[in-house]
Formats: sequence, C-alpha cells, structure tokens
Amino acid sequence: MSHGVYLGDTPVRRPGVSTNPLMRKIQRACKMTLPEPDIALNLDVADFINEKQGAAAHDATTTIVKLINSRDTHTAVFALSLLDVLVKNCGYPIHLQISRKDFLNELVKRFPEHPPMRYSKVQRLILTAIEEWYQTISKHSPYKDDMTYIRDMRRLLKYKGYVLPKIQAEDLAVMRPTDQLKSVSEIQKEQEIAQAAKLEELIRSGKPDDLREANKLMKVMAGFKEDNMVNAKQSINTELNKLKRKADLLNEMLNTSSEADLQNNETIDELYSALKASQPKFQKIIEEEHEDDDLVQSLLKFNDAINQLIEKYSLLKIGNKEAAERINLTNLNDISTASQTGGALANEINLIDFDDDAGTTTPGQVPNSTDSNSNNNNNNNSDPLIDLLGDLNLSSTPNTSSTTTYNNQAAAVEMGGGISLGTTAPPSANTNVPISSSSGDPFDLLSDFSSPNASTPAASLSVPTAVATSPTLPSAPVSGNGSTRINVSKSANIKIDLVVSRESNSTIKIKTIFSNPSANLVKDLVYSMAVPKSFTLKLEPQSSSALGSFVEEGVYQNALVENAVKENLEKKPLKIKWKATYNINSSPVEETAIFQLPIV
Amino acid sequence: MGNSISKTLGKLFGSREMKILMLGLDNAGKTTILYKLKLNKIKTSTPTVGFNVETVSYKNVKFNMWDVGGQERLRPLWRHYFPATTALIFVIDSSDTERLNEAKEELYSIISEKEMENVVLLVWANKQDLKNAMKPQEVSDFLQLSDNLKNQLWCVIGSNALSGQGLLEGLSWISNNTSKK
Repeated sequence: MSHGVYLGDTPVRRPGVSTNPLMRKIQRACKMTLPEPDIALNLDVADFINEKQGAAAHDATTTIVKLINSRDTHTAVFALSLLDVLVKNCGYPIHLQISRKDFLNELVKRFPEHPPMRYSKVQRLILTAIEEWYQTISKHSPYKDDMTYIRDMRRLLKYKGYVLPKIQAEDLAVMRPTDQLKSVSEIQKEQEIAQAAKLEELIRSGKPDDLREANKLMKVMAGFKEDNMVNAKQSINTELNKLKRKADLLNEMLNTSSEADLQNNETIDELYSALKASQPKFQKIIEEEHEDDDLVQSLLKFNDAINQLIEKYSLLKIGNKEAAERINLTNLNDISTASQTGGALANEINLIDFDDDAGTTTPGQVPNSTDSNSNNNNNNNSDPLIDLLGDLNLSSTPNTSSTTTYNNQAAAVEMGGGISLGTTAPPSANTNVPISSSSGDPFDLLSDFSSPNASTPAASLSVPTAVATSPTLPSAPVSGNGSTRINVSKSANIKIDLVVSRESNSTIKIKTIFSNPSANLVKDLVYSMAVPKSFTLKLEPQSSSALGSFVEEGVYQNALVENAVKENLEKKPLKIKWKATYNINSSPVEETAIFQLPIV
Repeated sequence: MGNSISKTLGKLFGSREMKILMLGLDNAGKTTILYKLKLNKIKTSTPTVGFNVETVSYKNVKFNMWDVGGQERLRPLWRHYFPATTALIFVIDSSDTERLNEAKEELYSIISEKEMENVVLLVWANKQDLKNAMKPQEVSDFLQLSDNLKNQLWCVIGSNALSGQGLLEGLSWISNNTSKK
C-alpha cells in the first residue's frame, strides 16, 4: 500500500535537517533568513555544549567553520558571531578546538595567498577573531601552551602580508580570565573539564605523539588527584589575598570619596560587586573545607569585614553619612598582612629625609592643609602671616598664665601660632580619652607608620600597654624643669597642642594633645613627627585614632627626642616636622607643617 | 587527501576500519587479549594505567582496538573514549564470581550512555581455561542482556586469551554485525 503521507517509525522532521540536536541548533543560529545574529540562539548552542561536553565542542567547531566558509556571506557572518559567543562562553573545550591546526587552516581556507586590496567582510571578521584570540586566550589562558597554533597562524598571516586589526581594550576585557574566588570543588571541576577536553581531543586525533600524551594525561587525571587538590588550595589562597586587597581598597575609597564620587564611580562599583559576588563562595568553601580551622576562621572574619563594607557602601549610596561613619572597619588588618598596603600608601609624605636645612626656607609655621572637602576654612589663606594671626586670635587657651620657664625667643614667637604657656591646660585628658570606645583598632595605627623615626613598639604589642602610658601627665610638670605648652596648629577640625618638657640632659619629652573644636567626628587620625637626623625620635602609640565632636584633648601621643642637649638647642633650635592625616565626613584631610620647638 | 583515496579504495575492495573499545574490570584480561590478537603472543603485562591502542586486521577489516585500564580510578575516564566507537567489547573474568555483579553494573552504566546507544556489544567471558570459570551461558544469564537491551545487538562469547580461543570468533561476529557502509 503506498501512501503519499504516512507516519513512519522515525520522528517527523524536514528532510535535509540534521537529526543531531547540536547541528540543528547551529543551523538554526546561522540560518540565512535571520535579520541579524541572534544572541539567544547563539547562547543556546553555548549552553548545549557546556552541558554535553564530550565531543560537542569539536562537532560544533567543525560545523561552524564549514558554515564560515559557505558561499553565503550572511551565513558566514552568523557563523562567526556564533563562534565568538562560544569562545566567550564555553571556556577551554572550545578554546582547545579553535587552536587546533586543522581548524585554523580551515578557517583561513578562503584567504588568497596574497592579501587582496580590500578584505571582504568575512575576511575582516576572521582576522579580528584571530587577533582577539591571540591577545586573550593564547596570552592569558592558564592552558596557553595548548594554544600555540593561534599564535602561529597569526604570525603566518602577518608574514603573508595580512594586516591584523587593532582590538579595543574593552573587547579584550571580556576574555580575560576572571579573578573569581572558587571553591576547591569548583576548581577541580574546571580542571576536570579542561583535562577531559584535552584527553578527548588527543584520542580523537589519534596520532602516536598525541596518544602518548593522552596516556600521560590519563595518569594525571586518574592518579594524581591529590596533586590537583594542592593546586586548588593554593589558588584559593591567592584569590583570597586578591580579594583582601580589594576590600582594603574599597574601604579606603569609601572613607575618602565624597558622595558625588560615589554615585558613579566605576572602580568602587567594581570592587563592591567583586566582593559581593565572592560571599556565596565563602560559604561553599567553608562547607568543603570545614576541617581546615585556620582557613575557616579567617574566612569568617573576612566575611564580617565584607559585610560591614557592603553596609557602609549602601549607606553611603543613599546618602546616610552618619550611619556609614559609625561603621568602622576594624578587623581587616588582622586577617592578612597583605591588606596593610593601603595604610602605607597614605603616608607618602617623606618624613625620613627631613634634614636640618629643611626648615630654613620656611621660617615659622606654614600650615599646609590639604582638604578636599574644604571644611578647613581658616587655613585656606595663602599668606602664612594672616594665618598665624588668625590662629592667635582664635586660640582658645589663654596665654596669660605663664608660670613656666618659657624662653621667649623671637623665632619661637614667629612660629608659635596661638601660644599658650604653662600647665594651666585642663587636665581633662583622663576622662576624655576614649580608650575603649575607640572605633579604630590601635593596631591599625601602628601599621600606618612607615617612618623609621617613629620607632613605635612592634605591632605585636598588646593593646593595653599601648594605651596605658599614663594619661595623668599633662598636668604634671616633670622633674622641676617644668613643661611648656604650645599650640602648633589649629584648623577647623583639629587643634594640636604640645606639652614639651625636659626629661634629662639630652632627652626632651613631647606630648602631643589633640582636640576637636568642630562638630564633626574626626576619624582615622594618624599623627607622625620627624626630627632632623642628628636627633633621635621615639614615638609612642597614639591613645586613639578617633576624636569625637567638641572633645577637648581627646587623643594624645608621647614622643621622646634624644640627643637634644639644651646648649646645642640654644644655638640651633630644633625643628620638628609633623603630619596629621584624618578623615572627616569620610573625606581625607592632611595637615602638615614644620615648627620650632621652644627651648626647655 | 591520501587518506580519503585509500578509504575510497577500501570501500571498493570491501575493507573497512572501525573503532573498537575494549573495557572491563581490572584483571579481566583486556591487555592480554589485545596483544594476543596483535602479536599472537602472550605478553605478561602489569595493570594498565592509561590505555593501549593497536590495529588488528582481520578479514579485510581494520580493527582499531582501544584497551583502557579497568582500575576503579580509571573507570570515570572511560567515557572520554566513547565518541566514534563502533563496537564495545566488554571483557569479564568468568572465574571472578565475586566481582561479577560489579562488572555487570559497570557494563550497564556504559551502555546506558547516549553516545553508546548505537554500538554493538560483544561480551567476552574470559579465562575459560580456569576450572571454576562460569560458562558463557551462565555469564549471559547473569547479565540479563536479553531483558534489558532492546535495540542493540549483543553477544556473549567464551574466550581464553592464552590459547586465543573465541577471540577471532568475536571479531568476526563484530564485523558481521556492523553495517557495511
């Protein structure tokens, strides 16, 4: 019986359409009738390959290269865009296929021996693709040794006289290996996929050399899992360190940038999303590595830090500055030494090379307030004299009660800026020092000192001893020599007073006292001093790094200057350079100046 | 080019080439069979870590025989050898009754793969020289292939790699039961 139409055993399909689902998908994505490359269809092919693995990548590339070489430009362009999507989405298995010699030869099959006057559209696209692959996978892929034929093909084309187009940096960025944190199992999975793809390719080619390599690879895949494990752990560590640096950077940027910056700062957004994306991975790693206590501990800590950062970020984003300021990252530095780089960067002023002559060109005090937020109104004058007078007028501490042996030297007056003498300073430091309320960990401060003069005790010093340097001192004149109190700087945000006293024949003790005359919270205060090389300076840790609004004498820091014999100082006064950096309203402020120490 | 000419000539003279994948538990005798067929010699071999591949010509057919190590840690890698396979030879140690079930499980996990749905299956019930070896029929019954394989050709043949008994028989079964395209 002969029917024109009947249902057979095989599923109903149009003739000429491949039965293989992969081929069908590829044909659909490259159909001539499409108006333009269809991303969805292309991604569909990519997903299919990622899911199936095995021979899929090979089959896909051989089919696609056939389509690229088809007479129809439309189809060829679609095929090239499909290939581009696969290269970007399927990872190593496709990379391995496109770097096969056969494939590359097939790809340039329709290139004439001598370059034509004008390239056809397809030729241009092929050249672009090869250049892109060369700039990315054959340079940056962790398996770039498998991709040498791309380089060779590019070289051959150049040799033949073809001009390879320049690739935009943005286009390349897509193909860069992503610095993403992966858990051990994910790394292993990736490795497995790559090795499996390689093995299958070697088996497929079947050349004696390849078979030998396949045998070796099989041994690696089957026998040395432990080896892979160690590698996986190592790469987790490197990724974690990278992330820590990112967190550090983000923290710094959040502290320093103003609101307007935040709204469209790509770097911040990037750092933020990198950190955010890493969080689910932490959980996974912790699940997998729960027997590794150290790792879990540091991960948890780090996770907390990131949570704080993210909260801070979102608060700043909606403009809630006060709340954001309250979040102060404390434990970032505990986690790894690598994260301390940010602090060191802030200290770029050169305190080390401060020599005796340095001060001679600038007699007196030249306050160098650098303030991005222009909070600092009275120091914006360029004329140091006006400034000085302003300081004198504004000086809050009366300078009438001179009970001490202040040596009224001309130079000292010149530089003084709001001179106040004696021990009349309210000894309130005791109560005001916010030791426990400190939002900044004292450790943070220590890590910030880069000047060798500031030979603070090593960072391992325990907190209590660092703070314990008795806060009763300001009121207590030392050993009959008496102490001199001077004001070295007064800006809108902080007031710096010194209590200078002589400890011994050659030692001068300087106690720096910080007050906050403003309503703003001063945070991350870092103060450093430098003396000429002929002297030795010993800085003790600051009592705190935060200064609440209107807090008088909230933070202090003791320093000892050795080698300071009185007779010598009378001949040649001691000049001290100081620098204070702090954050106010999340924007950084730096003040620095040189002053002459009164003789005591 | 030369390759395709020889293929065309091969078609004219009826010679064929096919990929045969030989799998099975460790110590089933795969490598011994391979070298018995290739060299007609008994090559005492250490357990295969990796694989061996040899071409065996028999009756105008070139059999590219892939013998992949059967140790447990190598088994997950078997699947990488599946593509383009014409026939699967599963070698069973008929005397190792304890691991017969394990062998059965492995066999079923191979032939349930999509890539293997079109291959013909030959089971060699190997080591028939040993006294306690199960007969091919017993092995066949145990494997229950007739119940589970509907669309695939399969066959269980007793073999003895040392004497070569059953080996050529198996190859000719394969060549007779694969399409002569």
